[in-house]
Amino acid sequence: MSATQRKTREEVVKNLHGVAREMYKRMAKGEAPAMTLPVRTKNNIGFDEKLGVFKYGSKRSIRDAKSLGSARQLLRALHIIEFIEEMIDSEKSSTLREMYYISEGWGHGKFGSQNESNNLAEDLEIVTKCLREDFKLRPEEDGSRMIGNLTLDELNRRGEWMRINARDDVGDSGYGVPYNVETEKIRLISHDIKFIMAIETGGMFDRLVENGFDEDFQCGLLHLKGQPARSTRRILKRMNEEWNLPIIVFLDGDPWSFRIFASIAYGAIKTAHISEYLATPSAQYLGITADDIEAYDLPSDDLSSKDVEALKAELSDPRFADGWWQEQIKMMLSLGKKAEQQSLAKYGLDFVTDTYLPEKLAEIGLAP
Amino acid sequence: MARKSSGMQQASISEFFEKNKHFLGFDTLPRSIITAVKEAVDNALDAAEEKRILPDISVEIRKTKKNDELMLICQDNGPGIPHSSLGKAFGSLLFGSRFHSIRQSRGQQGIGITGVVMYSQLTTGKPTKVISKIAKETGAVSVNIGIDTKKNKAIISGEKRFSFDESDGSRGLHWIGEHGIRIEARIKAKYQRGKQSVRQYLKMTSIVNPHASISFKLIDENNEVLEEDRWPRGTDVPPKIAKSVAVHPHGLEIAILQRMLRSPSKKPDNADPKIQRMTNLQYFLYKDFSAISISKSKQISQASGLYNREPQRLKFEDAQKLLSELKEAKLPNPDTECLSPIEDLLIKKGLSKAIDSRFVSTVTRSPMVTNGNPFQVEVGLIFGGDMPADQPIQVLRFANRVPLMYQQGGCLLTKALESVNWKQYGLEHPGGRGIPKGPAAILIHLASTNVQFTSEAKEALADNSDVMHELEQAMKEVGRGLRNHLKKSVQKKKAKEKFELVNIILPEIHDKVIAILDEEPVPLEPVITKIMNAVFLEEKVEWEPETKVTRVSIEMYNYTARPRAYSLLSTWPEREGVMMVDNPLGGRREAKGLWVWKLETLDPGCSTTLTFTVGGLAKGDWTEIDIFFRGAGDIIGATKLDEAILAEMLREEEASIEPEEVIEIVPMEVNEVKVRVEVPNEVPNEMPGEVSPDIVVREEIRQPAEPEQGWFGIGKGEEE
Repeated sequence: MSATQRKTREEVVKNLHGVAREMYKRMAKGEAPAMTLPVRTKNNIGFDEKLGVFKYGSKRSIRDAKSLGSARQLLRALHIIEFIEEMIDSEKSSTLREMYYISEGWGHGKFGSQNESNNLAEDLEIVTKCLREDFKLRPEEDGSRMIGNLTLDELNRRGEWMRINARDDVGDSGYGVPYNVETEKIRLISHDIKFIMAIETGGMFDRLVENGFDEDFQCGLLHLKGQPARSTRRILKRMNEEWNLPIIVFLDGDPWSFRIFASIAYGAIKTAHISEYLATPSAQYLGITADDIEAYDLPSDDLSSKDVEALKAELSDPRFADGWWQEQIKMMLSLGKKAEQQSLAKYGLDFVTDTYLPEKLAEIGLAP
Repeated sequence: MARKSSGMQQASISEFFEKNKHFLGFDTLPRSIITAVKEAVDNALDAAEEKRILPDISVEIRKTKKNDELMLICQDNGPGIPHSSLGKAFGSLLFGSRFHSIRQSRGQQGIGITGVVMYSQLTTGKPTKVISKIAKETGAVSVNIGIDTKKNKAIISGEKRFSFDESDGSRGLHWIGEHGIRIEARIKAKYQRGKQSVRQYLKMTSIVNPHASISFKLIDENNEVLEEDRWPRGTDVPPKIAKSVAVHPHGLEIAILQRMLRSPSKKPDNADPKIQRMTNLQYFLYKDFSAISISKSKQISQASGLYNREPQRLKFEDAQKLLSELKEAKLPNPDTECLSPIEDLLIKKGLSKAIDSRFVSTVTRSPMVTNGNPFQVEVGLIFGGDMPADQPIQVLRFANRVPLMYQQGGCLLTKALESVNWKQYGLEHPGGRGIPKGPAAILIHLASTNVQFTSEAKEALADNSDVMHELEQAMKEVGRGLRNHLKKSVQKKKAKEKFELVNIILPEIHDKVIAILDEEPVPLEPVITKIMNAVFLEEKVEWEPETKVTRVSIEMYNYTARPRAYSLLSTWPEREGVMMVDNPLGGRREAKGLWVWKLETLDPGCSTTLTFTVGGLAKGDWTEIDIFFRGAGDIIGATKLDEAILAEMLREEEASIEPEEVIEIVPMEVNEVKVRVEVPNEVPNEMPGEVSPDIVVREEIRQPAEPEQGWFGIGKGEEE
């Protein structure tokens, strides 16, 4: 079940106009035009008891046209609003990257970088309470891939529903998750698995596929491709909610992997406005944990100064406030070490499927 | 007369050369070519300077078929050398022929062109070809010069005379004008690129010699031009000629005083009564030192209790007493005529022509004395442009207008640079140590009658606290200039951004909003006033090539809600020959270099422009102005006038107009020229405390040389 109500076209346009309306009202009063936004840092996210995820708090920032940089942002936002309206009218969509290039023609409203256009699209989502899917904007990043005995229907380009089994109908690279995984595009049909394992690296995903781990452990495998795309987090959430499947997360053992997990389970800072829609609070972190590095005597690298900085920032991040995470972070800091998933290969190619994962899964009661 | 030592081992001249080539500058192959170029160029510059000729110097380096052998061709438009003097000028190698007379000269730092002839002969066995043309002869003369190392005499061969234009020949260099010298020497050497290259040497030379036009070509053995560069003349004013002066008493050392006491000047028999009345000691003080007047000489000799004593009879203790009186005496600064600083404006021009950049700050400090020698420090800082921001700044070191290319780390000039806290002046200076970083180059010039080096290699200046202090002061001064410039740049950038915001972005936001909402336009003036809430000022200083004037326009915007009334003040380079040619708003002179205009009241949302033009300047002379204001509130882009500082300026100006206190100035008598001749040690070392134990320094009095024909150095003690 989707937590947020999808908006109609008219609602989307009305909400977008609201942004321009705020500017107009201010100018009519002789004030600098402005946009009001929640502060998007870790200092302004808090746990929402009702939704079970982290959301933006009450801190607001006003972006007004008193400095050149902010004024340009406002102008760009207006260009985007106009552009989205045009796309809605003509029933087209574009990627964020395409919009970035289209902005070349926006004169003083053109973007300085792709990152800027992505951030502004998110800003608009936040103030309009719409999703970028409503704006007809697609991300550039591709979604994840999945393998396992699960069946779904996908609406293809010709407008026909295609039934796909992610074990029998796909090759070794699995089923590619599209950017839009909402019900208008994907329907979850059936499955015969006990849990989904989300894996950080392609190398480890392929290792588990080659070793037949999905069959042996009766599970689905999903390749996150680093920091997971929205659609990846969204489909994990849907499978968790609609099929009631546990989500097990298997990552490298470093501060950045901790953040990947936080974005899957608790909500990402950048997208905290839609955490209830993307985050899976029941997801579990399987490894590599800081104590695994010692327990399995894994080949490791020294933490870089950036790693240490990231760990220290995590100590004060509300998402990592519980005791287990504080312990893990402090342990990694005192070890001064990090380890990759694939360092398990130290004990042979089958060690991960024969020993490590069974042991770790047994700890949380998921052994076959 | 100074005579060459008979005890000098003639046969060992080449051996001596070989042994000492490290300090003669011929120790490595890459350095040898720089040294050779340096000797040739220094001579060309010195010769032109003496004859007030604006030098045109072209340097060509040709690679030869033989590895590690280069052909150096240097041609100038100097006075040339008479045929009869060519041998002397190029062929006699007299070490120590570079005298330390009390005068600034390039020559302190080298062995001379003869060293090149010598090096060429020793390394390639080839004579050096010299072509010379003097104004009073119709033709040029070409000779091949070698050195007879036994007799230390030139061997001249292959003499040819021809009309000057013919000498052009196949080499492709063109003689322009009436006179000049061309040297062609084949030497063992290696051409190198980079920081220690001939090209860098010439570039640095051109910076401190903006009156010279210098060109450079590197040509390979197949006649292909590999590198080419040109540094055109930046000014038509040649540097002033440095004059010889007597020793200044401040900082004098006991050994030197003792030596001077041994041969004091004697009163001439027919001197006027004023002189006749003086005691011998008084006359010695008056005559043999600079800056000592008749009355001062009396005062000092009486205060020391030695008034009636004979200079030659003074004992060590007496000399010490005299020395302390000399040091304590209040004396005018040494005669700076013996120094030839480059001076602010020319440093600016020199730097700007060599390095493309926006901002130059320069300082020429007043001359000072250290150890009886006048010296003067100059610093120029150039900032911005294409220079890399993350690298240590480029350090351009000079002693008496001669670039110093080696041993940067151990040099006093570098140490002074490193000792200043550049962070506070806007350069990166990690840990406050080492060379600061930033898109800048710094020129550091020490002009002195006696440059002290750390070693005979003469590439690094020795420590000296007086010079160090002056250097630090000069650097702080250019540093302050830089800080002001940066501060102004930041202010300007801010103002520019605000202008872009209200004039471009805000109207576009407005237009987009009403287009999206399909609404009526709203007036933006109140919004602009709200956003800006200040008075802004923007100035432009532009050179107008057609009319050859510098035009200043100052635009002021009132973006506040209330009317504003101000007087604006602008700096301008007021000096002789520079005037306001167009100034429609009138105004009046407030102080020297400061003009004031009263502006009409400026209503909210309005702007006004003030323009004036200044004539009598050259392009690039004046690019930055300071604008002050009187009135309530702040103006972004101008500084509130500090009335106290203005009053101080006015007082100083008034004071400088009053006739100066009359100081008795004793003209130098010119029928005797004091020179010091270094001769190889033939007599027992009788003077303890000498600088070098191998060389005694003797003072000789001789009649002034015949009018100096010389291209360089002739007549400065090389008589036979």
